[in-house]
Amino acid sequence: MLEASALAMRFEAPEGRISLFENLDLSIDAGDSLAILGTSGSGKSTLLGLLAGLDLPSGGRVSLAGQDLTALDEDERAALRSGRVGFVFQAFHLLPGLTALENVMLPAELAGERQARPQAAAALERVGLADRVAHYPAQLSGGEQQRVALARAFVSRPQILFADEPTGNLDHHTGEQVIDRLFALNRDYGTTLILVTHDQAVAGRCARVRYLRDGALATEAG
Amino acid sequence: MLALRLLYRDWRGGELRLLALALIIAVAAVTGVSWLADRVAGATEARAADLLAADRAVEYPRAIPDAWQSEAESRGLTTARTAVFPTVVLNDQASRLVSAKAVSDRYPLRGSLRIQRGPGAEEVVPDGIPAPGTAWIESRLLGLLDVSVGETLEIGAHTLEVAGILSFEPDRGQGFGGLAPRLMFNHADLPATELLGEGSRVRHKLLLAGPLPALDGFTDQLVAREGNAVEIERPSEQGRGASEIIEQAKRFLGLAALLTVIVAGVAVLLTVRHYAERQITGVAVMRAIGATRRQVLALMIGKLLWLGLFAGAIGAGLGYLLHLGMLALVAELLDTRLPPAGWQPLATGWLTAAAALVGFALPTLARLRNAPPMRVLRQDLGSGLLGAGVPLLAAAGVIVALMAWQAGDLRVTLSVLGAVTATLAMLTAVAAAVVYGARAWSRRGGNRRLLWLTGFTRRPVTAIIQIVAVGVGLMSLFLLAVVRNDLLSAWESEIPADAPNQFLINIQPDELDGVRSRLAEAQIDTRFYPMVRARLTALNDAPVQAGDYDSAQARRLARREFNLSWTTELQADNRLVAGDWWGDVDDPRPQLSVETDFAEEIGVELGDRMTFSSGGQRVTAQVTSLREVRWESFNVNFFVLASPGTFDDLPATWLTSFHLPPEQGQVLNDLVRTYPSVTPIDVSSVLRIVRTIIDQGSSVVELMALLTLAAGVLVLLAALQITGEQRRFESALLRALGASGRRIRRMARLEFWLVGLVAGGLAGLSATAAGMVVAEVLFSLDYPFRPLTLVVGALVGLVTVWAAGALGARRYYRASPMRLLREGG
Ligand SMILES: Nc1ncnc2c1ncn2[C@@H]1O[C@H](COP(=O)(O)OP(=O)(O)OP(=O)(O)O)[C@@H](O)[C@H]1O
Ligand SMILES: [Mg+2]
Repeated sequence: MLEASALAMRFEAPEGRISLFENLDLSIDAGDSLAILGTSGSGKSTLLGLLAGLDLPSGGRVSLAGQDLTALDEDERAALRSGRVGFVFQAFHLLPGLTALENVMLPAELAGERQARPQAAAALERVGLADRVAHYPAQLSGGEQQRVALARAFVSRPQILFADEPTGNLDHHTGEQVIDRLFALNRDYGTTLILVTHDQAVAGRCARVRYLRDGALATEAG
Repeated sequence: MLALRLLYRDWRGGELRLLALALIIAVAAVTGVSWLADRVAGATEARAADLLAADRAVEYPRAIPDAWQSEAESRGLTTARTAVFPTVVLNDQASRLVSAKAVSDRYPLRGSLRIQRGPGAEEVVPDGIPAPGTAWIESRLLGLLDVSVGETLEIGAHTLEVAGILSFEPDRGQGFGGLAPRLMFNHADLPATELLGEGSRVRHKLLLAGPLPALDGFTDQLVAREGNAVEIERPSEQGRGASEIIEQAKRFLGLAALLTVIVAGVAVLLTVRHYAERQITGVAVMRAIGATRRQVLALMIGKLLWLGLFAGAIGAGLGYLLHLGMLALVAELLDTRLPPAGWQPLATGWLTAAAALVGFALPTLARLRNAPPMRVLRQDLGSGLLGAGVPLLAAAGVIVALMAWQAGDLRVTLSVLGAVTATLAMLTAVAAAVVYGARAWSRRGGNRRLLWLTGFTRRPVTAIIQIVAVGVGLMSLFLLAVVRNDLLSAWESEIPADAPNQFLINIQPDELDGVRSRLAEAQIDTRFYPMVRARLTALNDAPVQAGDYDSAQARRLARREFNLSWTTELQADNRLVAGDWWGDVDDPRPQLSVETDFAEEIGVELGDRMTFSSGGQRVTAQVTSLREVRWESFNVNFFVLASPGTFDDLPATWLTSFHLPPEQGQVLNDLVRTYPSVTPIDVSSVLRIVRTIIDQGSSVVELMALLTLAAGVLVLLAALQITGEQRRFESALLRALGASGRRIRRMARLEFWLVGLVAGGLAGLSATAAGMVVAEVLFSLDYPFRPLTLVVGALVGLVTVWAAGALGARRYYRASPMRLLREGG
């Protein structure tokens, strides 16, 4: 499903060129789930962005669904993501001017889907927000916002879902609810899950766990 | 359609209201002016046709052949005939030279006659023309011949009964001198007068009205067949002066509207930037979930398209109302019916909306397509995305293009652009000096914390933008409302109290002594001038043709008869600039002295020979001097003066001008009763008319200035919106630090007061400065500097900004600290 080889990321910084990681290899099968752990600033978000094709690596290759992402330009990568890839972020990133329903409709509308509205309504119902469709993000609690984001992520039945600290802004209990739903998706639809987290308990529910440390991926915490 | 839905959601979220308002104001300004200009120009054309009483006229030295008339009618044209000739009419009391006019059925084809059925009776539009055997005469003829309605007059071998008093004739023509009173009768009576014999001076005309192709077809063919024997008259030649004024007024108003568009454009620029900044994350999210750059761009263009469509339609609707308002303001000046409103201004409106969006909004929004999708994981990415260079360049380009389009002429475009840029630069410089000055001062002192804390000194760039935008609007308003009035007063006060306010013209040579002694009895000591009306027929023996001249003014001069005089003595308000004055010396040579502007217009130089003709007589003389004339003196003056004796062969009348105190009005009445052909002209009423025209004309422009001010207020609100988040955060922070709500509001109020005071004071100052320049350079008047303008200006600015600011910023200071926490500041 997803394969990265010899992945490297370097940045030009004022103090010179810094290398975040070099030579990372990673592969995930369809329907699998993977947790990436690491200290703050270790490069987890950057790695996730590269795997999802949001950015291009300084070196190495990423292939998603059999396509070499590094050989595609930005728009081609976007087209590849459309309908295949879902996201859940720490900061929720709902569009403030749109209601919960409209936020969930957005990916389907972008993909030119005609049935966007009923699909979005069904997705919201699945995350238990059927009675909040007309609410704006500002009128929802953090947990509710993240569940809307979750609905938006899987409304187009993505093959793979990327989550960057999806519970980072939520209290323990609410976070647990969100994670439950995430794994339910993974189970029901066979959606591949890649999630970045600080939380060992969350990581423990994934089939595989990797630690990003000193620019390398390890299988055990150090 | 996604774009429309997203636009709707943005709208509902309140994101685009200011942007839409700015567009609406810009479109309203442009369409309003466009409609006004279109319809007034249309009315002027119609009026020009009225002045000819037809769409076209064929003049012929002999009776119009019947075949022509039937031929024209077979082409679908309406026709009428007229014949005008001087003749003497008599009854048993007296005889009088009249200008007789025979008219046929359907005359006038354009415009209408007005008559009275008896002295003092109501003026009516007659249906038709005088019945055979009857005549309508001008009212002064009643007195001259001592005839009344119902009595008869003899004209040639025929007798006509006076059936009405002719009070208005559309194609009578202007010019007041030397016209004999009119007698109008039925064309069918013409043969019976037996006045059409060989050598009579009859001008026959065939009037035509109908569709343009038929008119052209008929007259072209007639010219091809008859050559120079026929002369074709077109309305545009009669009304060209008016349409040129209209054309200039249209340009001026167009540029005034453009000023509104520019200020509104700044509001668009600011709101769109604010909007785009808030969209970056959203677009990054869309891109992360699969939107391509093209999709994003199409979405943005789609939004703008829909926005332009709606705002354009609403703006055009407002523009329509605006033009109705402006028409109402100038109603007195427009005595003709208006053509219906056309559709073209709508297109103009949409074009303006499109240009404003493409120039001011699209460059910024288009940048959004490059929002980095990685921003969804790292908030700091893409913060420098929007840039400023390209949007500013695009805006400048669109402004120049719009100006070139409105002004229609590169030189005008550049000078207007220069003036606007200079004004903006000056306003910006002074505003910056004040703001940064206040900042430096507030930082030095101890007890100026309130000032130090206000946005006025902490957000200097925003403050400057607000000051300049509101300042421009207020400045144009003051310029029109206050400075214009001051200029007019200054001009009027320059006219001496005893400046002539009455002219007496048409004094026959044998009446001269009588009139002189009547005036002397009333203690009015005045000078009399001889006057000859003649046409300029040749220059250096080459025939003068109106068509040879480019300027309308020169063409008019070449076509018309104008007034000539002779004298030995140069008046005090005349100054010789070239050649020698003939003076008293006994030089028998005929000589001319020509006014400089006139000489330039008609292309006459010192030493040239000019030939004038009047009543079949020709006189040729050489130009031996050029004069400058101070026309403001209101004395009688002439373009062309001759040495005594030059015009002895031409028929002359006399005229004079003098100051008549209002309480001596009776003198004039007695005079006119004794000498009925003498025509008095009251110049004070002319002055009043000039004032009315200026007042009404500028009230239209004032409306435009109000729109500019509204656009300026939008800029103010846009700047408020941009700083809104910051204000919200500051207000929460200050509250958390223990500041009371009152204190926070007081700080905001102080900021608005300062912005308003500076903007208004600056506007008053620059309006006064502009007034001084205009007074000095254009009118050589002393413009009074009035500090009150500055004070009033500052107060108006304060109130405007305070009101708008309080309205726009209310919500930032009202939000509860709790909500601020939840929204994350
Ligand atoms: N575009 C960039 N330019 C420069 N430095 C970058 C860029 N993107 C990431 N970095 C740097 O790379 C490092 C890793 O960033 P990243 O956001 O991936 O960390 P993270 O592991 O997700 O941390 P956290 O747990 O705090 O979210 C940081 O030091 C960051 O400053
Ligand atoms: Mg991170």
